[in-house]
Parts: sequence; structure tokens; C-alpha cells
Amino acid sequence: MLTDREIISTLEMLQNEHLDVRTVTLGVNLLDCAANDLKTLKDNIMKRITTLAKNLVRVCDQVGDKYGIPVVNKRIAVSPIAVVGAPFSTSQFIEIAKLLDRAAEEVDVDFIGGFTALVEKGMARGDRTLIRAIPQALAETKRVCASVNVASTLAGINMDAVLRMGRTIKTAAELSAQKDGIACAKLCVFANIPQDIPFMAGAYLGVGEPDAVINVGVSGPGVVKKAIDRALNSEENPDLGRISEIIKRTAYKVTRVGELIGREVAENLNICFGVVDLSLAPTPNVGDSVGEIFQSLGLRSIGVPGTTAALALLNDAVKKGGAFASSHVGGLSGAFIPVSEDLNIGKAAEDGYLSLEKLEALTSVCSVGLDMVAIPGNTSEDTISAIIADEMAIGVINKKTTAARLIPVPGKRAGERAFFGGLLGESIIVPVNNAQGANPFIRLAGRIPAPIHSLTN
Amino acid sequence: MKKIVVSVLGQDRPGIIAAITRVLYQADCNIENVSQTILQSEFSGIFIASIPADRSAQDLCLQLEKALTPLKQHVYVKYLEHIEKDYTFTESEPFIIVTKGPDSKGLVAGITEVIARYGANVTNLQAVFEGGDDPEKNIMIYEVDIPTRIDQQKFYEELRNRAQELGLNISIQHRNIFKAINRI
Repeated sequence: MLTDREIISTLEMLQNEHLDVRTVTLGVNLLDCAANDLKTLKDNIMKRITTLAKNLVRVCDQVGDKYGIPVVNKRIAVSPIAVVGAPFSTSQFIEIAKLLDRAAEEVDVDFIGGFTALVEKGMARGDRTLIRAIPQALAETKRVCASVNVASTLAGINMDAVLRMGRTIKTAAELSAQKDGIACAKLCVFANIPQDIPFMAGAYLGVGEPDAVINVGVSGPGVVKKAIDRALNSEENPDLGRISEIIKRTAYKVTRVGELIGREVAENLNICFGVVDLSLAPTPNVGDSVGEIFQSLGLRSIGVPGTTAALALLNDAVKKGGAFASSHVGGLSGAFIPVSEDLNIGKAAEDGYLSLEKLEALTSVCSVGLDMVAIPGNTSEDTISAIIADEMAIGVINKKTTAARLIPVPGKRAGERAFFGGLLGESIIVPVNNAQGANPFIRLAGRIPAPIHSLTN
Repeated sequence: MKKIVVSVLGQDRPGIIAAITRVLYQADCNIENVSQTILQSEFSGIFIASIPADRSAQDLCLQLEKALTPLKQHVYVKYLEHIEKDYTFTESEPFIIVTKGPDSKGLVAGITEVIARYGANVTNLQAVFEGGDDPEKNIMIYEVDIPTRIDQQKFYEELRNRAQELGLNISIQHRNIFKAINRI
């Protein structure tokens, strides 16, 4: 028999603390859709996606209703299109992107990821074509997300690709200038990209994955914040060891929700269950913020001295609690700090507590990277590439995933605001300090070698 | 071996369970299940025990009354009957229905009328009404087995409508979510 305390505390998390399943993402393998003419390829892809995903939204809603837990987003991740469409031209890749957009609309998912190339060690023909197609593909579609893995701990950093991505981001921003460069909000540059991320914009289905798979992204920054607040208000002198314990227990509960719902959705769709991604993912709503957790921990704002230590504690405790709660953990698994998608983090940037440099420092201890950071539109492609290279180096050396989702907002300067709308939010444009126009270091290109795996200091 | 059900009700005080179990022990009864609770100041307990063939429920009831009357407890004893449910048992799923809202008369009756009409069975009910308008102080928690054959959407809709008429906020969730979150 359940106790009234168990029932009421669970309801509290749901009704007042924004506990939900942030995304159920259906991975769809498209490798066997390959064809030597574009029409057949497009027909194959459309048929595959609409067949596998036709019941995704309905089943997610049904299961969500049954447990009283909303599945906020339903999404699709496909095999890397750079592989699926390797023989085709840039304009044909753009057609494929538009087809993915239509397929996503047909099955009513808000994003489809997988316009992806994996180029950490070198670029093949399909990779180069896909990267060339990215700006127009993202500017002319609404739901397609792109990602390019330019670095890994085993391969090093492909600086040719990094350079190319700086240029790609600039062009994508210019092609969507009317909407503050929104195309860049759908593009992530990665080091060590996982094959099973359910979150956008980095979701794609890895080549080591099955025909179809359900991956789940849980969230719950509001639940963690409230649990910390309760402990600080009700317990006598809780120290950071105790707070870590509270975060672990809370992460356990949040993850169990994702596991239960993901498994049931997978079972109802007759598709295998993949992983739970244990990430604290904020939305631009009060009470659903990662940034607010830092204030609960006693910091004036995210970004002040002490923030990196606090984030390290938070991220580690979330992983420990979540790993115990789920049989298969994967994806990014850690705290997200997307500037425009988190009201509190956006405010911290606006108030000057959080700079690009501090964000970069934080990415050494959390799951993602420079995420949804709006920068001045006149930032040069070399500077963007250099920021990406720095971020990739943190991931490569620390054997972790890092990513950059930078938006050089056309025509706007530091201190002005960029508006992306919906979950992508809005943000102050942060200055890029000490930037130089051309960057000869970046233009040396080539590949930064993979790091040594001993002498680990 | 016959079984008896002993139900005891009265104001709570020390020694009630000791008195009941002493009589059962002296009558050579073997206790199989006990459920006991205290609501505000009232004690209530149900005991199921096996009873030797040469003893009767009536005799046992007299002995229990003798022991419990000084403790101001009411006793009822009956034989446990074979399970013959008056309703047709159907496949069901366990759900938790929680309502919160201002206290007024008829809340439990209003909600359970809908539950009963759809053939759902309440397996546990906890309700606290501290009075007043604070919804957090007036909560009902029903554990309910909902038959899978009924039109569940219609049932939920009727429950939600009834809750709205009664000024209550209602949530209806499968029991497993509470187990998943709270139990290892």
C-alpha cells in the first residue's frame, strides 16, 4: 500500500515542479533506404518514417495520460544523412532536408534530427556535400536539426571541419537573418557525439543502432531546485554532502519516470527501448530552470565564483541518482546550460554575471557545451571556428561530449536581444571578447592529434 | 479449520491489542492477518484467525466482550465465508485518484458514486478533511481497480466533471508511477 506522503509528494512534483518527460525520441534507421536515384531514396525515407512513426504521438499521449505525466516533445532521430545520401549533390541534400521536414510534419513531431555528418578524422564526399547544404537546409525547413561531429578523443580534432563549420554557421545565420539567425539554433557542432541522444539539436541515430529504437530524455530542474530548497529550509545545517544526496534521490525519481514511460511507449509501438538520457533540461519558464538551482545553493547567480564547483556537484549527483534508476543510460546525461532556453541563465548573461569565457569553463564539468549562445552578428567565421575549436578541445582532452550551438545574430550587437521563440527562447547577445577578425592559428587547419591516454594531469 | 473475523472499534487507549490477542491466544486461535488503524482518536482493528473446531464464534465474542468492555471497545465476530464475490470479477488496472479542494459535505459520496457506477472497486481510501478552503488540507486519496473493459476515457471524463461540480481538483494516474518513483 502506498503512503499518503508518497502520493502527495509525487503529485507535488508533477503539478508544481514541472516534472515531465521532456522528449520521447524515435530513432529510425535509414541506411537501407539508400538508392541511386533521388526519387527512390526520398520515397523510401518518407515511407520508412511515416510507417514507423505514425502512432508515435498518439501512443506517447496515451501513456502520458495513463500516468499523469506529460510527454512534452515527441521527436525523430534518423541515420546520418551524410551516409544515407552520400552520392547526391548539395541541392539534392537540400531536397532531402525538405523531405525530412515534410515527414516530421506528417507524423506531427516538432523536430527531426539526423541531418548529420561524422567527420572527426576526415571528410568523405557525402560529408562535404551535407555541410555545404546545411545553411540552406536549415533556413528553408522548420523541423530539421543538423549536427556535425568534428572531434573525438580517439581521433583528435579535425580543424578543416572546424573551419568549415565556422563558415557554415555564418552562412546559416545570414540565410535566416529575418529570424535572428534561427537556423543556427538547429545546428550543433560536436566532440564525442553519442549515438543515442534523444535531445535536439544533436539527436541522430548512430550506425551501431538497431532498425528502430525509443530513447527518452527526462528533465526536472524544477524538482531538483525544490528538493534543495526544502532541505535547506527544514534541515539543520545540511552540508554539500547532504545536498548531493538529496539531488541523487531526486534524480532517481525523475529518471524512474522516464524509464517507465519510455518502456511502455516502446512496448506499445513494438520497438525496442534504448536509453534514458539523464539530463536536466530547462525550458524558458519560471520554475523550470537550471540557473535557479545555483541561487538555491547560495550563489548570487550562475556565473559568479563558485559556479563551476556547484555545477560539478549537481552534474555528478544527477548522474549517480539516474544511473541507479535506469537499466540503460545514454545520450548526453548531465545538466544543460542553454543560455536562451533558460530564463535564469539568460538573465545572468544580461546582468553580466555570465560571460562566454565562464560558460566555456562550465562546459568542462557539465554535459553539453556552449549551448544556444547568441553572439554579435559581425563575429568573424574565424572567431566562430576558434570558439568551436576551444570547446572541442575540452571534450577531446576530458573524454567527454562537448558541443557548440552558437548563433551570430545578423545585424545585432552585444547587449541587444535575439528572439527565437518557443522552446528556443530569447537571449541577450553576449560579447565575444578579444576576438580578432582573421585567425591564422585556425587557418593552419589539418588535424590536432588525438591526446595521450596516460600522464593524465 | 474454520476462520473467524474479529472487528473491534472504540476510543483508542493503551492495551486494546493486548487484550484482544490474549483472548484469541487463550481460545487457541491462530492469528493470520491483522489490519489496524487510528483515525483521530478512534481505534479500529480487523483480525482474521483460525479457530479450533470445538470453539464457536459466539463463545469467542462473549469472551472478547468481557475483556474489552472495560476498555470501552465494541466487538463483532463472524465466520470468514468462502470468497463469493457479489460482483463479477473482471480484469482491472490499479489507479490512484487524488482530489484536493475546499471541504464540504458529500465529497466522498459524490466521487464514489461515479466510481461505483462504472464497476471500479475502491481498495483503499485515505481522506483528510481539516475543513476550510485550503485544498492542501482537504485531500482524498482513492486506490481503485478500474476494469479494463469499461470506456475509460468516458469514466475519467465523468470523474473530472463530477470533481469540477464539487469544486475539487482531481488527478487520475496509474498506480505504477507512484511505485516507480518512490520504491526501489
